[in-house]
Formats: sequence, structure tokens, C-alpha cells
Amino acid sequence: MQARTKLARTAAMVLVPVMALAACAGSDDDTEGADGPGTTDPADPPGNGVEAQPGFETCPEDPYNCNSGERADGGSITWLVVSGVRTWNTYSPEGGTVYGLQVLHGIYPHIGMFGPDRETFEFNMDLLAEEPQLLSEDPYSWQYVIRDEAVWDDGTPITADDFSVSWKLGTSAEAGHCEGCRSRATTNFDQIESVEGSDDGKTVTLTLKPGEVNLEWFTMFGVDDVGGGVMPAHVAAENGFDVDDPAQLGDYFEWLQETMPTFSGGPYRIVEGNLEERVIKEPNENWYGETQPTLDTYIMRIIPDQGAWVPALSNNEIHGGSPIQLIEDILRSLDQMPNVHYHIQPGPAWEHIDFNLDVPELQDVALRRAIFTAIDADNIAARIYGEMYPEYTRRTNHLFAEDHPNHVDLVTETGMGSGDTDAALAILAEAGYEFDGQTLTLDGDQIGPFRLRATSDLVRSTSMELIQADLAQIGVETNIEPTDDLGTMLFEGDYHIAQFGWSGDPAFVGLTSQYYTTGSPSNFGGFTNDDVDRLAQEELTRLDIDEAADIANEIMRIVLDEAYVLPLWDVPVFTFITDDYVNVRDNTATSLRGVYNNHEWGTAVQ
Amino acid sequence: MAVYTMRRLLAAIPVLLAASVLCFLLIDLSGDPLGDLRVAQPPVDPAVIASEEVRMYLDRSVPQRYLLWMTGIGGNGDIGLLQGKFGPSVRGPAFDIGAEIGARFLITLRLVVIALMMAIGLAIVSGVISAVKQYSTVDYLLTFTGFLALAMPAFWIGALIKEGGVWANRELGTGFATIGAASADTRGFTAWESFTDAAAHLFLPTLALMLTGYAALSRYQRASMLEVLNSDYVRLARAKGVRNRVVIRRHALRTALIPLTTVSALVIAGTIDGAIIIERIFQWRGLGDFFLESVSTNDSYSVMGWLMLSGIIVVTANLVADLLYGVLDPRIRYG
Repeated sequence: MQARTKLARTAAMVLVPVMALAACAGSDDDTEGADGPGTTDPADPPGNGVEAQPGFETCPEDPYNCNSGERADGGSITWLVVSGVRTWNTYSPEGGTVYGLQVLHGIYPHIGMFGPDRETFEFNMDLLAEEPQLLSEDPYSWQYVIRDEAVWDDGTPITADDFSVSWKLGTSAEAGHCEGCRSRATTNFDQIESVEGSDDGKTVTLTLKPGEVNLEWFTMFGVDDVGGGVMPAHVAAENGFDVDDPAQLGDYFEWLQETMPTFSGGPYRIVEGNLEERVIKEPNENWYGETQPTLDTYIMRIIPDQGAWVPALSNNEIHGGSPIQLIEDILRSLDQMPNVHYHIQPGPAWEHIDFNLDVPELQDVALRRAIFTAIDADNIAARIYGEMYPEYTRRTNHLFAEDHPNHVDLVTETGMGSGDTDAALAILAEAGYEFDGQTLTLDGDQIGPFRLRATSDLVRSTSMELIQADLAQIGVETNIEPTDDLGTMLFEGDYHIAQFGWSGDPAFVGLTSQYYTTGSPSNFGGFTNDDVDRLAQEELTRLDIDEAADIANEIMRIVLDEAYVLPLWDVPVFTFITDDYVNVRDNTATSLRGVYNNHEWGTAVQ
Repeated sequence: MAVYTMRRLLAAIPVLLAASVLCFLLIDLSGDPLGDLRVAQPPVDPAVIASEEVRMYLDRSVPQRYLLWMTGIGGNGDIGLLQGKFGPSVRGPAFDIGAEIGARFLITLRLVVIALMMAIGLAIVSGVISAVKQYSTVDYLLTFTGFLALAMPAFWIGALIKEGGVWANRELGTGFATIGAASADTRGFTAWESFTDAAAHLFLPTLALMLTGYAALSRYQRASMLEVLNSDYVRLARAKGVRNRVVIRRHALRTALIPLTTVSALVIAGTIDGAIIIERIFQWRGLGDFFLESVSTNDSYSVMGWLMLSGIIVVTANLVADLLYGVLDPRIRYG
């Protein structure tokens, strides 16, 4: 006992100074942080949606070039990834998350992505020799011509074989190409009849099955498609997988799940990493693109805890990031860091309120309309975002953001989301409801109370409270029941009224079918309407994208008229970066966000 | 002693079994492991979801699943606690829960062991000084410090220390790290650089964890020491003219350490579990982080693995505490 006590005491006495000294020794890189806190005026709101930050001032007008600058050779950047990644295979449900795509961007060759203007699909002309063209509408077919220079990091040409393997990896079991592949989305790939190569595999021809149409064919194999790019066929062969054998392709799928990709067909290659902490990348020396990376090292650091971001940034442990939503405390802290700039703008997600139509009382469309009319969406948004980002955008269309070319304001004219209590009461009175100033009744029976549910984050908690207050004005009682398991809540229909978000890129075909047709797994509230079902089917078979958009808007009108879903606002997001780096900016049209152009990043020339 | 130990170990089995049943039921009620998959956008192929249900054994009833999880009989070879297999994870077929818990346990242990050694050492020193200098300024100062650390929640201590570290780096040029157990890029580090890097990452979380453990232990040590100092045999030693330093070190301290030793065993167990908060704040990928990640993803078998490990640690720590008491205190005899 004495010996143990002595040991403990000695260890404690020795370790403290040793650790302190070692920590104080630091490393060569640990030289800078913020220049010190500035004065904080509590009345001075955070957020520079009002006053643009240096480098980002021109983003609204020039989203492709803001924060540009000349790059110096060399340097290192550590980029924040706000959530862990479960597996390496972006084709799987576990690996194909937003964060998985972000971490692996720059490794897989891809066809392109929507640009920061949130409208134009930019083909990846580093990979492609010419812009892809639609060859035929019957059968639906298109072609990629790959540059001769496009190769994997080991010099193997990128060819049709890679596209073919990737296609098969993304198909369902029913398609028969792969046994055991668990693709996270199979609809588009299951439409494909064949992927054929010619010109030594440098020309890739994709043909859909008879009768199938994909109006947004150009997004296939893009960064936001199922796998975020193309997987290598030759790596499968090198590791003993015969990709023509469905069982062995399934084994390749699992191999990709557990194997950190050391191959690359993009500007970077991964040299070290794990899925929980960090991934280290270096430039791919065989990258064939026009703009070569100049950074020596590009580290993606996974830090799920929001509270850790600012200290890590102050401490030079991270240099930038693009989190998924605004966080007031963080913006206030960034405001005090003169060497850090950030930019706020509407993000790829939008919030909405949905009814569960399995609840008998909520099957009355008049009640639903009245409830939506009583909710003051602008007031809620202003209270949540007003100080940080007064330019927040109310969502006035279920599918199309305000800057989308097919956007039509469908909401304003309906009065839903206006917070007009009198109008809401008038709707109720007309439908036979009685309001005694406190309680709403129908035929003497009280309406509600309804279960109002959302996740318990600050934004939604605030929103729930304000919605509850709005509905109390028309006598609709609600009980707020937060959840930390949104997936189960939605899937099991365990709510009466729910607020949650959808997110996506400007591609839209098929979304109405997904959200609002009878029996669709994403139609959580059980909405059913024959016209919507018919129109959604029509939308999928149209050959003109504007016609498809018109049909989608028509569907949205019906959904709104039925008061099933009330769009609220586009969720604002922000990107931050220290002034040591240039060419870092946000692209909210893709799930990649700030890393969309990571090969263009560099340390600023001083 | 051996009989007693065996009896205690056997008694622990039904306790752990009951705990496992209760935990399994609660976890099953807490959410669907495939909840996120079911609402993923674009929707995941129903066939994939069905195959995941089979892989996760969700196609079986709760009692069937519990028996399977415990015994592995009727499983696919990836489940059965008694066979050392913790079950499949929502993180994919390749994810080995057992191996992950093992690796994470070592990370947590690195943090906890040093923190506790320091906490216990500091608690002994400050407890003794406080007791010997009872009602002096030093005693009041140490008491105040102890109560302050005791009153502050771990997340608050952690955040303050982290901010302090960042401030020290900025103002004093120190090199404390605030995230992770090592720098992101340690390639090419020499052994010394690796050591200093580890120490730089260890310092702040260790300090935070140490303070949370130290507070209670120092109060314990002070009370214990005071009790011994007021005992007859210490008075006798002094009356015999034994020097004060010898009285305190040889006669008083040794006896006063007995309660602390037994309490320390329990504190170690508590700290391993309690490291969740500190690991989260400093982004260490230890057991605490594993638990939080598993809970947030409804990864039921991972949560069960963590809970069972936690249960075993607590039961073992209790046993060790009881045994230590018997070893250290000659008045205690186990039969």
C-alpha cells in the first residue's frame, strides 16, 4: 500500500510539470490564434448578413469568384467536418451521407455539380472532353466523352468500365447486377439498361430501359448523385473481385465499405485517416485537371461538438468550415476574431410543418387551413434569425427556392403562414367550429390537444413555442413533445403536427412523387390525392423539363390547397475561413458546401 | 478471502443479468436503429431496409433478440455476448463493436488513469494539509477550492479550462491543444515530438477530469485524517514524544488512507463512465464519445456493449473496494 501510494504521489508530482512543459513546448505550427478578443457590445447583433465580411462582399453578385485570390505554393489547411462518417463507401446508406460525400470529395472523379449560383449545372471539364449530350429520347440515351488525360492516380485510364461498375454498385438487388450491394438510392440506376464503352472506353454511352425518362440525366454520376462520383473498376480487379460476377461485386461493395481509399481519380489522394477523427489528403500527382492543388496537406477534422469549434479555430487547430445551420453563439465569437471571415446565405435545406392525416380531427381540411393561417411564419423566422440574418428567405414553394428558375410563389396568396388570426377564425366559423375565446369546439367536442413535435434544437424549440402560442389564439391546444429520434418519429407517424426539414439540390424531378404520392415512404403524414398521384406520374414521363416543373408546381398548388404541408423558410447556413486562405467559398446548391472547389484552395499570397 | 471473492463474483452474475434485461428493454423502447435509414432522402430501396432488418435481427421479437444477443445461438456468427461477440452495428457489417470498445477503452483509460493519479495524489496532499492545519487560512483556501470544484459541473470546468488553455496559448505562447488525443497530422514525428504532442493534448482534459475527481476525494481525505488525528493512539504517540512529522506520516496518514483507497476504487469506475462529458468537450474518441455516438444513432447493440462494460466495471470496482478494505484494515475479516 505504501509503495502504491508513493507511486501515485510521485507520478502525480512528476507528470504535472512534465506535461505542462511538454505542452508549453508546443510545435512549430502552433504559432497563432486570434489576435485577442475585441469589445463586445451586447446590443450589437452577430451576423454580417447585413455588413458583408472581407472577401465575401461580392458573393451575392459573383458567387463563383468571391473570396478569390492568388495562391502561394504549399501550406496546409484543416477543415471542419461537423459529423462523423460511418463507412468509406459513399454508395452505401452509412457512407453516403452529406459528411461522407464531403470527406471523400476530391477522390472520386465526377461528372459535375450545380454551381454556387444555385442554378447552373457545371460539368466537370477536367474529366470530360466535351459537354455531355443527350443522344436520344427513345430510348433515352446520353454520352460522356472522357479526356484521354483523365487517369487514376496509378496511371490507369478512367474509362467506361469505371462507370459500368459504379452503375452496378448503385442498383437494387432486383436488377441482378450485384448480390449484396446495399445502395442508398437505386431509382435512377435501376432505370439504366446499359453502360457501354467505345474508343478504348473513353466514350461512355448510357441507355435507359424502354419507356424510362430521366430529365435530369446530366446530374447522374455528379457529386450529389448516389455515390458522389465514380468508383474504380481496376481496383476491384487488383483486389481479386470479378465485377461481372454479382456475388463478387457484392464483395467489392463491402470491401469499399471498410477500406480507406488510397486510390484517387481526383485532385487529392488520402494518405492517412480514420472515420472518427480526421482524414489527411495530399495532392494527387497524376491529377489531370487544369487547376492543380497548391496545398501540401489538406486535413478534414471531424468535430461533432459545436462548443469545440471556436476554441479549435482560435487555437489554429481548424481553419474553416461550413456548418449546417446558423449558431448565434458561434457567430458572436467569430465576430471577435479579426482574422476570420464568414458568409451567411440560404442553405440547401428548408423547414416545413406537416400534418399527420391519420389523426381523425386533422382530416378536416378547414381545420388544417385555419391552423396554417394562424401560424405566423415570418414572425417565427424573424425571432429566430432576425438578429443574425435579417435577410432570411421565407419559403413560398415546396420544391423551388426563391432563386430557382421555376420558382412560383404559391404560399403568399393563400394566407397560410400569415398569422392572420381573424382569417383563421373565419375559416373555422364557416366550417362549423365554435370558439369561445379560449377553446375551439366542433359539435360541442373540444378540438385537440394536438401533439406538436420536432427535434429539440434551439431553432425548432423556439419555433414550437411560437407555433403553440399562435394556435392558442384560435383555441387550438397543443402539447410540445420534442424528440431526439426524428427518423423513428416520422416513420411511425408518431406526431400530430411536426416540423422538420428537407434538403436537396436544384434538381427536382421526382420529388413530388417522393413526398406527396399515395403510399410513398417519404409521405409520412399519409396524404392521398388522386390528382397528385396522376400528375406525379405525368411529371416523370415528360420530356421537357419546364413542362415537368409546371406539373410539379401544379402538384404543389394542390398540396397547399389541401393544407398538408406549410413551407416555412430556407435554413440559413454559414461558411467561415481564416484570412490565410483564398478561394474558399460556399456552394449551397450541393451537399459539398464549402469543399466543392477544394482543389482551388490555397494559402493567400502575403 | 478466495471464497468471499468467488461468492461476490457469483452474486454479480444475476445483478448483471438483471441489468442487461432492463437495459435491453429500455434501449428497444428508445428508438428504431433503422429510423434514419427509413426516412433517408432519396428513399432507400425497401429491399435494402429489409436486409438491414435481418442483419440487425430486427425481424425477431425482443425476447428472441435478447437471448440471441446473450448466447449467439441462432445468429449469423456476429452476435452472442457469451461468445465475445457484441452484435451487428448500424454503422455497417464491417463495424466490430467489440474491437471498437476495446480500442476506445484504451483511449479513455489513458485519460482517466493520469487524471485519477493526479486527483488522488493532490487529494491526499491537500486533505492532509487541510486536516493538519484545520481552521487555518490554508485549510479555508483548500476547502474553498474543493467545494468550488465540487460545485461546478464537469462541462463547465471543461469549458473554462479549455478557454484558459486557448488564452494561455495566445498570451503566453504555450501549446495546449483543445481537440483530440493527438494532432491531426503526426506523420514524421520523432518519439519526443509524439510525446510532447500527446502531452499537449492530454493536459487540458486531464486537468478538467482531475479537478472533478479531486474535489470529492480531498474532502474525504480531510475528514478521514481529522478523525485519525483525534484518535487515542495518535495522542499516545505524541505523548510518547514521537516527532509530529513521523506521527502524521507513519501513524496517522497510513490509517487515514484506508477509506480513501476504497473510495478511490469506486471513483475510478465512476470516472471512466463520467469521462463522457470531458471526452465530448475535448473531442477525444474514447468510450464516452462511443457511447454518445451510439445513442445518437440508436445503435442498440453498441449501447448494450457500453452499458455491459460499464456494469462490469462498477461491479468489479465495488468488489475491489470491499476486498481492499479487508486487506488494509486488519479489523475486517471476510468469511
